[in-house]
Amino acid sequence: MSLWIDSLLAVLAVFLAVRCLLAPTLPQCVFLFFAFGLTLALAWARLGAVDVAIAEAAIAAGFLGVLLIDALRDFSRSRSTGEGGDRPSRVSQGLVGAGVLVFLVVAIEAVWRVPNGGGLTALAADNLPQSGVDHPVTAVLLNYRSYDTWLEVGVVLMALLALFATGGREYFCRPVVRAVDPLLRQVILLFTPVLFLVGAFLLYLGKTEPGGAFQAAVLWGAGGILLHLGGWPVFASMAPWLRHLLLTAGFGFFLLLGFLFMAGGGALFEYPLAQAGLLILVVETLAALSIAAALTAIFAYFNGMSAESAEPFTPASS
Amino acid sequence: MNGFFIGVCLFLLLNICLGLLRVWRGPTVADRLLTTQLFGTTGMAILIVLAGYLGELTLLNVAITFNVLAVLLVICFVQVWKPGKKGGKA
Repeated sequence: MSLWIDSLLAVLAVFLAVRCLLAPTLPQCVFLFFAFGLTLALAWARLGAVDVAIAEAAIAAGFLGVLLIDALRDFSRSRSTGEGGDRPSRVSQGLVGAGVLVFLVVAIEAVWRVPNGGGLTALAADNLPQSGVDHPVTAVLLNYRSYDTWLEVGVVLMALLALFATGGREYFCRPVVRAVDPLLRQVILLFTPVLFLVGAFLLYLGKTEPGGAFQAAVLWGAGGILLHLGGWPVFASMAPWLRHLLLTAGFGFFLLLGFLFMAGGGALFEYPLAQAGLLILVVETLAALSIAAALTAIFAYFNGMSAESAEPFTPASS
Repeated sequence: MNGFFIGVCLFLLLNICLGLLRVWRGPTVADRLLTTQLFGTTGMAILIVLAGYLGELTLLNVAITFNVLAVLLVICFVQVWKPGKKGGKA
């Protein structure tokens, strides 16, 4: 009977993906993409991959949503002034298409061969008592394969560095118009602590159940974005040393930990058995803080870059 | 009881399909944005019903995540689009 739900979800997801690609106007495309994200999250939940469902819900509905809406504003503005409407040339279109095709073929090839005996699932489950956490996904992400997770934290930092490199850093200091509507102010002030609490809840939950650092980071970053939108640019008004510390804490602590383990004669990320649980929690917290700060900064950058008519910003005295 | 859960789920999913009509035709961005709010609420309802149906309470966490982030899009729209329209300098 539940086959009905599954087949409807599958058809809806594929239909939305195709529709999104073929949409004639930009707003249609963006909002179809939101709907696609929702069906994808539902599909992940239905498949039993709750971790992925939470991440998809947080990133698609939250962070990507605000970025796309901000970009949509820029495009609709440049469209109305008649500039920037030229389409990319045939050569670049063909090159991008060929690149995507090659990537797709490699990806399909990678997942085509299912290893005998279900891969590493049994091995991961057997070693769970030694990992310091009770949830297999967190154990894989932060213990067995912490090298990958470390580099993922680095990728977010790298994205921000690329933004620093291509444009001036002064863009951060231009907040959007301060929220004057009392209802809007109250909603923002009410939701920021809620976002922070739910993020902390997901972070701590990652030890035993689906949840974890990346999901928490998006929620904390959403809190920062909310404050920025309300006219309290938390990231821009921070002292520079604090800003840099916050951005690099996750990556740096991971690195430091790895070197300390190696100095102690172990492998790069070989946690000592007794402290594994605590260390993983500390690493996750710092990584979540860093990613949240980077997400806030990325949004602040794009938002500041597009707000031409913003008044010069004077940092708060605090 | 299972039939009831599945019926509710299917009804909510069909609601989403109907909402797509507004995404496709909606003349302004605000219309389309309201549809995403409908999607968020309906998705949450589906997740809660699924949590009851499958007996998997962790699905409620997905619903919470949807719930707290739904407000972000609206506030972003209100704050990002209004100044641009008013200023009209570009």
